[in-house]
This record gives sequence, C-alpha cells and structure tokens, in this order.
Amino acid sequence: MAFLEVTDLVKDFGGVVANNHVSFQIDQGEIIGLIGPNGAGKTTLFNCIVGYHKPDSGKVIFKGKEITGFKPFMTNREGIGRTFQIMKVTAGMTVLENVMVGAFCRADDRNLAKVEAAAILGFMGLDSLKTHHLNELPIAAQKKIGLARAIATQPELLMLDEVASGLNPKETEEMVDLLKKIHKEKKITLFLIEHVMEVVMPISQRVIVLDGGEKIAEGLPKDIVKNERVIKAYLGEKYAKGI
Amino acid sequence: METLRDAFDFRDFSKPEKVGFAIFTLFLLVFPWLGAGSFVKAVAIQFLLFSLFGMGWNTIGGYGGQVELGKAQYVGIGAYTVALMMVWWKIPFWVSMPIGVLIAIGYSFIIGYPLFRLKGHYFAIATICTSLVLQDIFINWKLVGAAKGIELPIHEHPDFLYMQFKSDTYYFYFIMVLFYVAIFYMNWFRKSKLGYQLRMIKEDEEAAESLGIDARWCKIKAYSIASAFVAVGGGFLAVYNLYIDPYSVMDLDLSIKIALMSMLGGAGSMWGPIIGSAFLVPLDRFLGSWLGAQKGLIGVDFMIYSALIMIVSAYQPRGIWGIIEQFRKK
Repeated sequence: MAFLEVTDLVKDFGGVVANNHVSFQIDQGEIIGLIGPNGAGKTTLFNCIVGYHKPDSGKVIFKGKEITGFKPFMTNREGIGRTFQIMKVTAGMTVLENVMVGAFCRADDRNLAKVEAAAILGFMGLDSLKTHHLNELPIAAQKKIGLARAIATQPELLMLDEVASGLNPKETEEMVDLLKKIHKEKKITLFLIEHVMEVVMPISQRVIVLDGGEKIAEGLPKDIVKNERVIKAYLGEKYAKGI
Repeated sequence: METLRDAFDFRDFSKPEKVGFAIFTLFLLVFPWLGAGSFVKAVAIQFLLFSLFGMGWNTIGGYGGQVELGKAQYVGIGAYTVALMMVWWKIPFWVSMPIGVLIAIGYSFIIGYPLFRLKGHYFAIATICTSLVLQDIFINWKLVGAAKGIELPIHEHPDFLYMQFKSDTYYFYFIMVLFYVAIFYMNWFRKSKLGYQLRMIKEDEEAAESLGIDARWCKIKAYSIASAFVAVGGGFLAVYNLYIDPYSVMDLDLSIKIALMSMLGGAGSMWGPIIGSAFLVPLDRFLGSWLGAQKGLIGVDFMIYSALIMIVSAYQPRGIWGIIEQFRKK
C-alpha cells in the first residue's frame, strides 16, 4: 500500500485545466521532487492534496484513507504538513509563539506546547531567534520558521512549496542540509516543489515532472535530466531540437 | 487548576503595568467614597460597563482580528431576558441573567455558523445586518413592548435578589466585580490554546489552517465568548436603568462604540479595551453634556470624538496601547 496515492486528479479553473489526470504514488520515507515550468500546476496539485482546492475528479488516498476534499486543517490532523511559497510576514507573534501554534495541534497544554516548540527551534538551529518577530528576519530565517511551524504539528508527510526560492547559494546549501536532517532524524517523508535544481537533484530519490497540468515524466533524477520531454518543456521545442 | 493559575498569574506583565494595575484597582475600590457626584459616578459605571463589553469584543475582534460590528444584539438579548423575566414571572436577576447569557450563547452559534462563511468586509457588513434585523424585530414585536420598550417594576426597598438599590455605589461595586471577573478571564484567555490559535488566524488564516486549526470553528467559539460577555453587561444594563427599549440596548451606535473603544485603546491587547473605554466614555459624556447643551454647538462633541479617532488610527493602528508600547521600546 502506498503512503500517498493520487489517482486521476483533475482540477479545472473554468477552462484552464491546472491538473489533468495526474496520478502518482509516494512511499513512506521517500524524498520526492516535483518540478515543472511556471504554470505547470505544481502548487495547484499541492493545494488539491492538502485541501485548499477541491479537485473536480480523482482521488487522494493517504495511509489507506481517502482524504479527497478534506479541509486543510483536517489533512493536517491526518498527518500532512505543508509550507508556503510566500509566507505572510507579520509582526503580531514571536517566532516561538508561531511554532507553539503548530505544537498546539497535538498538545492542549500551553507548557507542553512551549517545550515542544523550543525543542524544534533547537533542532532547526533557530534558538537565537525565539523572541524575534517574523518581519524582523531575513527570508532564509522566515522559510526555516515556516518549516519549524509545520514540523511542530508532527506530520508524517511534509509538503514544501519552493522552500529554497529567494535564497543565496550558501543559504540554499544550508537548507538542503536541513532538509536531509529533517528527513533522517524526524523520519518525515518529504515532497517538494522546487525550481532550484541544486536542491531537487541532490536530495530527491525520485522526481515527478509536470507540464501544462499533465505529468510528463517520473523517475530518478539522473534519468529525468536526460528525458527529452522534460528538456522540451523547460527549454522549448527549438532548443530541444538543437540538442 | 492550571486554568485558575493562568487567570491570576500576571507575572509576565512589565513592572509599570503591574504597578499601574494595582493603583488602578485601589482607586476603583475607594472611588465611591471620594465624594464624586452622581453624574461622575454614572460615568464611572459606564466606563466599567464598556470595558466589560470591550473585553468581550476583544476576543473575536482583537485577538481574532474579525471586524465585528454587531455586538448590540447580544446586549439586547441579555437586557431583554432579564427585564422580561422580571416583568412576566418575577424571576430574580441572579437566575435570569445566566439564562440570558445562555440564550446569547445559543443565538451566537446559530448566527455565527453562517456568518463565519464570510470574510473581511462582507463579514463586517453581515454582523451589522444581523444586529439591525434583531433590533427591527424587537421594535415591532408587541409582546415585548415594541418600540415603547419595557419598564422594570421598581421595588420599594432595596432588593439584592432583583439587584435594586437606592444608591449608585452598589451598582458601581457590582459592575466592578464583573469587570474583574472579565479581566481574570481575559488573562487566562490570552494564554489559552484558543487565544494562540485566534492570533494565528489573525496573522495568516491560510497558514493557520495548514497548522491544523479549524479557523471557522475557532472564530465561532470566540464569537460566542464575546457574546456571553456582552450579554452579562446587557443584563446589568436592564437592572441599572430599570427601563430598556430597542433603541437604547440594540442600536448600531452601541455596536460601533463597543468595537471603536477597543480599537482605539488597542485591539488584541489586554489593556486596550479598558484604556479605550477610559478615554471615550468620559469624553463622550462630558463633551455631550457640556458642549451639547450650548446653543449652536450641538454635534461638536461628535466632531471632536471623530477627529480623535482619526488621529489615533492614522498615527498608530494598534491604538493607544500601541503608542505606549512604541514609546517604551525606544
């Protein structure tokens, strides 16, 4: 039985078919990359799985339970965490409080939530930022806090939407190391949308490629980079012929 | 136990806040003996009452960030329940007031459930509408006195059961007790799971949902907490004024004042509603009685009132408390 199974998923935004019969499976413990050009339907696919969009047809099955059409907070309680490509940067809560809200998902007691949140911040190397507010921090730290918040809900599957966008090469490298650490020590299955190839290629065990709402390829990273359809999707017909 | 400890634990406040709060408490305790006239006493009672309303509103409006402009309907429910039960069946205040609160809570779930499908401006407009509809119903409903309202039977002797006293001092202490219960409740609330979740919803509702928070349900819960607070105040209003009508307890004006005072004082902070009420209630009253009485100056009090609100909101959207915190940080 697959860990996450998406079958024939269709999402149609009144004429624009964002996801057209997309099917794939993820096994527990994997790291899967989801790539594709802009507008390929990657974020829509995420939103359909997590519940921000209701798919028009198709099925999402997580740990043997059908979760199609569940609301986001329900899929989270089932064990799916997610981060956002663009985080709202606000001044109302400290970093610790942000992560505590995540921890409250599994703990009713405030002190327990606080201890857990502090432990996760320690794990992520964010101890020194506890009392800061999101709007005072650089983007790399914001992304990490988004991650920490999601991890605090104790997910089994973590879906990351462009976790490395806007980071410089050094920060990207740090992020890759952090993701590896999360995968290894927290035993969380990772599913990531990514544009930055330096992130996807070294850590993904498998890569799924979307283009125009359809899945055009799936396989090992080293095979994907040679795949003709993928190259075409990324570089355009003309260039692909030249190669 | 944990809940009680949280409610009475003010340790995480700064020293000036604690000292200020203690002095303020002492002042309130001795206030009736300072020789204030009946007008000043009435203003003080209004101040405590609006603080109570404001603290209730602060749960959904301040911590939850929802622009709620329909609290007057719950003032009305609280007030009418107490008044009608007293007139029809001679039921004492101490029984009718809790029943009024329960009715308000029940009603708030019925209203809140569809209401919180809406967001932002649409939500704000809808809250106004629900309150106006209820007011209109009461204006035309003969059985409950329609537009004439109802007068509560006046007892010859002071009666604790029916909360009828000769002197305002008793009312003052009674509303003061309610006020402190509200403060302790809010002190617990801001540290509770619901409090944190609401703040997250205010920050970023999408992200809150992704963290396992059922945003709509949280808002409904906070909305009914706010309604319960306000209904308590409504019950008090009935026995204090001994006369209620739909215009005095269900008016849009009242809803807006409740929200405005908290926003001006600082929505989403512990002291905001109290500061706002301390500012606006006396201003409203004194300006109204001094300027309003002068020939040709009718309406000037509203102008000053509005200008003040504009200045504060332009300078610091987090209200007076925001300004104080800004200065403290420097």
